[in-house]
Amino acid sequence: MLDIQGKLEEIGPYVPAADDDLLVCRCEEVTKGEIRKAVHQGITTIEEMRRYLRSGMGLCQGQTCGNMVKRIMAQELKVSPVEIVPATSRVPMRPIEMEIAAEDGGLES
Amino acid sequence: MTYTSDVVIIGGGIVGCASAYYLAKRGITNVIVLEGSDSIGHGGSSRNGGGVRQSGRDVRELPIAMYGIKNFWPTLSEELGVDTEYTQKGNLRLGKTEAHLKKLTTLANNAKSVGLEVSMIDGKQVREINPYLSEEVIGASWCPTDGHANPLTTTLGYYKRALEMGVKFFTSAEVVELRKIQGKVRQVITKDGAIFEGGDIILAAGYESRYIMNTVGLDIPMTKYLDSALVTEAQPKMFEQMLGTADADFYGHQTKHGSFVFGADCGLEGYMDMPLTRTESHPMTLSASCRAISGYIPLLSKAKIVRTWTGWMELTPDGVCVLGRPEETPGLILATAFNGHGFGTGPAVGYMMSQIVAGEAPAVDITPLRYERFMSNK
Amino acid sequence: MKVTRYDLIVIGAGPAGLSAAIEAAKKGVKPIVFDENAKPGGQLFKQIHKFFGSKEHKAKIRGFKIGEDLLKEAEEYGVEVVLNATVVGLYSEKEVVVKIGEEVKHFKGDAVLVATGAAENMVNFPGWTLPGVIGAGAAQTMMNLHHIKPGERVLMLGSGNVGLVVSFQLMQSGCEVVALADAAPRIGGYGVHAAKVARTGVPFYLSHTIKEVEGTDRVTGVTIAQVDSHFQFIPGTEKHFDVDTVCVAVGLSPMAQLLKMCGVEMVDTRGGFIPKCDDTGATSIPGVYAAGDVAGIEEASSAMIEGRMSGAAIATYLGYMTEEEKTERIAELEKALGSLRKGMFAPENRGKLIEKTDEGIDISMNLLEKGYVADEEIARFPGVTKRRKVHPVMECTQNIPCNPCQDACKKGCITIGDNITSLPIVDPSVDCINCGMCVASCSGQAIFLVEEEVEPGLGEVTMPYEFLPLPKEGDKGMGLGRDGREIVEVTVSRVRTSPAYDHTNLLTVKVPMEHLDAVRFYRPIA
Repeated sequence: MLDIQGKLEEIGPYVPAADDDLLVCRCEEVTKGEIRKAVHQGITTIEEMRRYLRSGMGLCQGQTCGNMVKRIMAQELKVSPVEIVPATSRVPMRPIEMEIAAEDGGLES
Repeated sequence: MTYTSDVVIIGGGIVGCASAYYLAKRGITNVIVLEGSDSIGHGGSSRNGGGVRQSGRDVRELPIAMYGIKNFWPTLSEELGVDTEYTQKGNLRLGKTEAHLKKLTTLANNAKSVGLEVSMIDGKQVREINPYLSEEVIGASWCPTDGHANPLTTTLGYYKRALEMGVKFFTSAEVVELRKIQGKVRQVITKDGAIFEGGDIILAAGYESRYIMNTVGLDIPMTKYLDSALVTEAQPKMFEQMLGTADADFYGHQTKHGSFVFGADCGLEGYMDMPLTRTESHPMTLSASCRAISGYIPLLSKAKIVRTWTGWMELTPDGVCVLGRPEETPGLILATAFNGHGFGTGPAVGYMMSQIVAGEAPAVDITPLRYERFMSNK
Repeated sequence: MKVTRYDLIVIGAGPAGLSAAIEAAKKGVKPIVFDENAKPGGQLFKQIHKFFGSKEHKAKIRGFKIGEDLLKEAEEYGVEVVLNATVVGLYSEKEVVVKIGEEVKHFKGDAVLVATGAAENMVNFPGWTLPGVIGAGAAQTMMNLHHIKPGERVLMLGSGNVGLVVSFQLMQSGCEVVALADAAPRIGGYGVHAAKVARTGVPFYLSHTIKEVEGTDRVTGVTIAQVDSHFQFIPGTEKHFDVDTVCVAVGLSPMAQLLKMCGVEMVDTRGGFIPKCDDTGATSIPGVYAAGDVAGIEEASSAMIEGRMSGAAIATYLGYMTEEEKTERIAELEKALGSLRKGMFAPENRGKLIEKTDEGIDISMNLLEKGYVADEEIARFPGVTKRRKVHPVMECTQNIPCNPCQDACKKGCITIGDNITSLPIVDPSVDCINCGMCVASCSGQAIFLVEEEVEPGLGEVTMPYEFLPLPKEGDKGMGLGRDGREIVEVTVSRVRTSPAYDHTNLLTVKVPMEHLDAVRFYRPIA
């Protein structure tokens, strides 16, 4: 059980940092500062972060930034990165054109 | 560990978060929200097509949808401090056959009877509104006051604001039991043994509500159903309406970001045998969905799908939600069983929950949605 | 819709996937292997360097050659490999949906092996999204598969084996590597890999990382700076380099998404998000296996053995092999895997500072911090002896699992013994015949032949040389030290190439006697 309010009190307020404008998710152009700020607004999981800022929701689906987001969140939440659960894996593994995905022979009897 | 508050809300989805927010807004800030998973909005609240619509709704819940669109959605972004991406550019419910049109006409007449502006239009008029739709579409119902929003930011927006206003949230707080004290539901027990005591307890936990209410002898007849959706890579701006079909073979819209979110299925998802903790896709969903969508919007056939997802819906025999205080269980308020379309009404439902707690009459009449309605079945 | 069923579906035609398919096919299993690439072999075909290990691990054979052999073996046993086949998803009931050409197809396996390998990690620093910042693996693909030079002047970030090996390959392809930086205080990869880069003159900056990559449309420069023990930059320690390319080699992450999406139980570790599995790669779902980097990052040599183990387990699971046969085979493979996981770089030693070799010799701190063994340190290692007559000087100073040198010498000058990680010992009583086989066999390029007084005041050093153009007899050039500094002008007295050397040329240079123990590399005079 995670007491969100308790956690936010424990980690203290968001403190701006010099590298806050550093890009983390290049597909969706999310910066380190945005991620850090979101943590202090109560975003404590990768899933929530994806929903809140779209980090890891672009073409690469977090392949590039997943670990970086994890590290930043862990640091902000003062936990080990392994405590930050990675995003759910979903079909498709690689982006696929709709017209190709449509061709699975599904209409044949 | 025992926590005491004025209100305990079970379920950190849009209904739970919105209820918490509107309670706090009226000064009731001693509120606790318990989310069973590790993420806020992890159930249907983040797994829906984002429809904020009135058309196509059952007349029993239509007034709630209308109330929300009139009173909450237009100013919600400002109020919550997030971009809810609310877009009110109408809803087209598409038909490809005469049978479809007949079905749409019935729905439109129902809606008109309670004062909603919905009209039937022909294929030409459809393509005037949305030139990307295929010639196969021969008509549609058109509700210009419908729209869509981003369910992810909206749900988290309510959460964030409620948190700021002092509401306490607990995640990974799976509720296993409700306990009555002297005839009144007062305690909520979580898996790790913590006890949350509240003057009122709001149960808004989707299908899982059932297991929880079972512990105080209540039950809502419902089945769980896995629904699927897909997301494309960002596309140039094409259209702003919410789309649905008479055949219910897909629904969706283009988001502000440019990607399309479409719900669609192969028809077999509802029969997958999985616990609610699992959300794997059916192997045939992706292809079937793509065929359905391409049939309506041929231009999207080159668009790449970057992700698919699934979510559990809870379906009642009459297709609408359960709201209000069951007579048998003082202290307990239900806001559940949304049948897969609870997002658009989420703000209004949350608001009415705060009214019920405060002892006010809900803004719209919810008696047709009461728990007891199933008892008079046949 | 049609679902085609196979005994075994392997996802990924890299070293692990192919090895598993072969091992299972040997027992009669009918496997199909899908790979999204146009060529099979995974990363093997990018590996132009010689591998470590012993004979059973295909040591001293170059990676791409191992790949070719693996493909031949797959063909021989009837393993069906489908290329340009991108797996879209792995579903319950072991259903695999694959994009092949312009359509998707459904397959089911009685067993499924996921061998999808790993993806490169990234780090972010100002400018990390500029064109010219690339992964080391990407650079390797450009050079070794597509024959494209990634850039002209490169800074490498990361001193693990990937960073070291790719740095060397960048130089082989004609790039200038201006520096190698790593935020860690010590080099992460094999000392011999570091040493062969350092001796060409590449400076190593440990406890340094990238502060900023400069450029507007593409990389034009990079600034690195020293970091303290909390990885915070120390003001005033900035170093600037004009470069057009920054290569990032900061580790790999298993690509385990397919396993996760089908419901396999996963575990998060410092080495990445991996499936929970036993030694044979069996996951929490019966019939679903994982092998190679997807189950935890290791070398290709280990991946091949892991694949074989999974192959044997799968053959047994499918009823093509008895439990007894399996037990015997797994034991044999575990032994081979065990020897690869020995030594200073064994998984259990990750992140530890090892100060002495198994033999009790102090490890060179210069090697760990600067990339080379200092001249005054080298004599303490048992492969380094001094004689007048020609003899091998083996600058192998860490316990790593590798022993081809001992077999390369037919005369018995070189001994490693039964423990594959022992340092090589040179027997001074045995006469070296100057065949050069040991020099060419050393995957770490750490063996030299040295002869004193070939003429008055001059000795000869024979070194491995894998650069083009190949110098000619009589050429004059600069003799460089272990640290890459220019020591003295030297003359090429002999250039040997031979199929037996497998593209490691032997360059013999005449060196003034006083520098005979210091000159270890040759740089042509431009």
